[in-house]
Amino acid sequence: MKLNLTRTFWIRTATIALILVFSVFLFFIGKQHTVLVDNKAVTVNGVELKALQLVEVEVNTLGSMELAARDRDKFDVTGQKHKVTVIYTDANWEEHTIVRTFRIPLMQDMVMILLPALVANPEGDQSLWLENYELPTYAMTAPAEEPVVTDDLAVLVEI
Amino acid sequence: MTLHMTKTQKVLRFMGNNTVPILFLIICAFGIPLSGYSANYLVSEVIVRIARNSFLIVSLLIPILAGMGLNFGMTLGAMAGQIGLIFISDWGIAGIPGMLLAMIISTPISIILGWWCGKILNMAKGREMVTSYIIGFFMNGIYQMIVLYGMGAIIPIRSNALVLPRGYGIRNTVNLIGIRKSLDNLLTVRLFGIPIPLVTFAVIALLCLFVLWFKKTKLGQDMRAVGQDMEVARAAGIRVEHTRIISIIISTVFAGYGMILYLQNIGTLNTYNSHMQIGMFSVAALLVGGATVAKANIRNVFLGVILFHLMFIVSPMAGKNLIGQAQLGEYFRVFVSYGVITISLVLYEVRKKRDRGLAGLVLAAEQEETV
Amino acid sequence: MTIEKLTSSVKGMVTSFGLPRVIIALFLLVLFILAPFVGVNVGTSLSDTLNRFGMNAVMVLAMVPMIHSGCGLNFGLPLGIIAGLLGATISLQVNIPGPTSFVLAILFATPFAVILGWGYGQLLNKVKGGEMMIATYVGFSSVAFMCIMWLLLPFSNPTMVWGYSGTGLRTTISVEGYYLHVLNDFLSIRLSDHLLIPTGMILFFALLAFIIWAFLHTKTGTAMTAVGSNPVFARASGINVDKIRTLSVVMSTWLGAMGILVYQQSFGFIQLYMGPFYMALPAVSAILIGGASVNKASILNVVVGTFLFQGIVTMTPSVMNSMIHTDMSEVIRIVVSNGMILYALTRKTEAVR
Repeated sequence: MKLNLTRTFWIRTATIALILVFSVFLFFIGKQHTVLVDNKAVTVNGVELKALQLVEVEVNTLGSMELAARDRDKFDVTGQKHKVTVIYTDANWEEHTIVRTFRIPLMQDMVMILLPALVANPEGDQSLWLENYELPTYAMTAPAEEPVVTDDLAVLVEI
Repeated sequence: MTLHMTKTQKVLRFMGNNTVPILFLIICAFGIPLSGYSANYLVSEVIVRIARNSFLIVSLLIPILAGMGLNFGMTLGAMAGQIGLIFISDWGIAGIPGMLLAMIISTPISIILGWWCGKILNMAKGREMVTSYIIGFFMNGIYQMIVLYGMGAIIPIRSNALVLPRGYGIRNTVNLIGIRKSLDNLLTVRLFGIPIPLVTFAVIALLCLFVLWFKKTKLGQDMRAVGQDMEVARAAGIRVEHTRIISIIISTVFAGYGMILYLQNIGTLNTYNSHMQIGMFSVAALLVGGATVAKANIRNVFLGVILFHLMFIVSPMAGKNLIGQAQLGEYFRVFVSYGVITISLVLYEVRKKRDRGLAGLVLAAEQEETV
Repeated sequence: MTIEKLTSSVKGMVTSFGLPRVIIALFLLVLFILAPFVGVNVGTSLSDTLNRFGMNAVMVLAMVPMIHSGCGLNFGLPLGIIAGLLGATISLQVNIPGPTSFVLAILFATPFAVILGWGYGQLLNKVKGGEMMIATYVGFSSVAFMCIMWLLLPFSNPTMVWGYSGTGLRTTISVEGYYLHVLNDFLSIRLSDHLLIPTGMILFFALLAFIIWAFLHTKTGTAMTAVGSNPVFARASGINVDKIRTLSVVMSTWLGAMGILVYQQSFGFIQLYMGPFYMALPAVSAILIGGASVNKASILNVVVGTFLFQGIVTMTPSVMNSMIHTDMSEVIRIVVSNGMILYALTRKTEAVR
């Protein structure tokens, strides 16, 4: 088959390529991630860090949350690059605000921010306080085998 | 020859041409007081339905322009849209990007299905409707084969929330939490306490403008010519088969987008049922709006959505208040949906026969009938 | 030379029989051959197939008169089924147990079938050329209408109505104690543990089929064929086309009513409400699989088609299940039956209108 290298052909190819690039872009910005924020004692590089008494945390502008010690909560975000704001009061009743940006790996569904680690190393690399999180398998309770309704009649039974 | 008609003749003629909408107005006029719903509730419900359904119904217009009747094959587009949605739910793409990506995925599937459907319909000229209707059923089988047996086995699906516990096949219902109302809630204004999804309406308006513009293009004019008389169009150098296929492709692609819009509003996908319902309801709504098999415009779409869904909303409650059984109202609305399609199809065939058979005697015959 | 001749004659046979039919027949043959290897009892399968054949054949036969008179495929079969359901429910309401109830059901169904069929025929005469689509929707709307009626009609036999409210018919009504298996058990032959031939049911079908066959060879019957093959010529030779068409529709509707009664006596239940909704499609595709087209059908088509279709419906689940542990039969049934209808609708050479 001889390829017809006319202008229409090039425009078509370019459009298709553009749409493909656009789809990839959509994938990047639309990918949903869950950011868990965890205020629990952790050990980083052999140093044990205690949980904070009370901490206020916000991802992007999704509304701030207050976490007591041993609390965990989550934010649902889309896209890869995010900002986390942590406000806490230290032992001297001084209020500190930490603002950091972080990147979530594209195909990672869940990440967890370790608040004590972040507070301890406000300038440290994100790998110190952000870890990938996999849902433990027991959490996914296998639901009972559900019957698949392929019956044509179902169209009208439940309207 | 000009027709001189008296006022009564005009009124009768108007009623004859608008039997179905008038019938529906009467049903609604009885049903609304019986149901006891407040005006506010009804208006807000109807607005939701307009936003939800009109895109799908508009997708039926172009095949009618091309003389191919009501495209029951729009279920094919709906299937393509659903496949797009299944993929984005699996990948976890949310919000507007998710919807756009689902549309992009659905487009090539719709184009292929539409092309195939158009090919088949070209082989069944003169009975496009019943053929497209059966095509819907046939493709439903293929769709089930792919979604119920292929996905998770051959087509990779990662999410456990989607795949049946047996390891392959998509569950009965897919939760579209990621894109639920993402378009509707992008920008809403409240008028008298009724939320109006502006962006969705803007999208629908754009589509309507596209259809209006399309009718004026060369291709649109060709379609109209093909719809009026295939042989004359062929003699005028129009590629009849090609034009017909294009009209079905456009309809299928729009039906796919419409389905995505519809499901983002609903928020859950009934994997094996959603698409089958949609064809029937869209066709019924369009016909309720006063469209016929041969002629339909945007006015019919909106009038149809309003009247049809008003009936749909009020009938269970009306049935309950009237006889004490909501079930009765539900059966009633199913009956009315099918009845409307039947009446419209019969009226269309009768009119066609009358127009064709009595070409010379039209005037006399009409006067006789109207006296 | 001979091989060429053979291939050409095979080709001729395939084209005359239609490729899809050959494929379906071969598929069924393969299923029957495979069955014993995967542990499916051939006797049981054959017995099931025969039983289903008997259950459905009359409904497939209901296609024949309308195809003959040029009204196309009878997608409006649910209308006939409704006449049958009315006959069945009234018979149960009269409450005479035993085989008499079956005769009563036939007697009660007949006037309904004639009246509904007549009205339906009049409607179809007004819409010549668009019969099939309208037939489909006449079927659908009549089913939906009857849903309302089943709730409202004043039936009172406690076996039929909902227990707690005392009104409105149940979705499924058992015919046990009335006419359950009256035809199945009549003269039935047990060849082995697994193979049972429901002679009565097959005889009943044969009787109806013979009546139709004989009718088609009477003067009115030939007139019907003439109307179907060339309405203009038929009118010119003095046949009242509309009357003949109405007659054919009435016959089809009545056969549909008989079909559902036969189905019920074997199945054991009367299915109301949405039950008859999609019953037309299997019957339509069965006759098409048997070699009929949109405007040509014979009794042989009915027999062959019903056997092939029901054979596939019975065999695929059992064989497939034992082979790959997945029940794909539903999907196969949908694809095969609708694919067959599509094939028939797209034949140019066979299509008059």
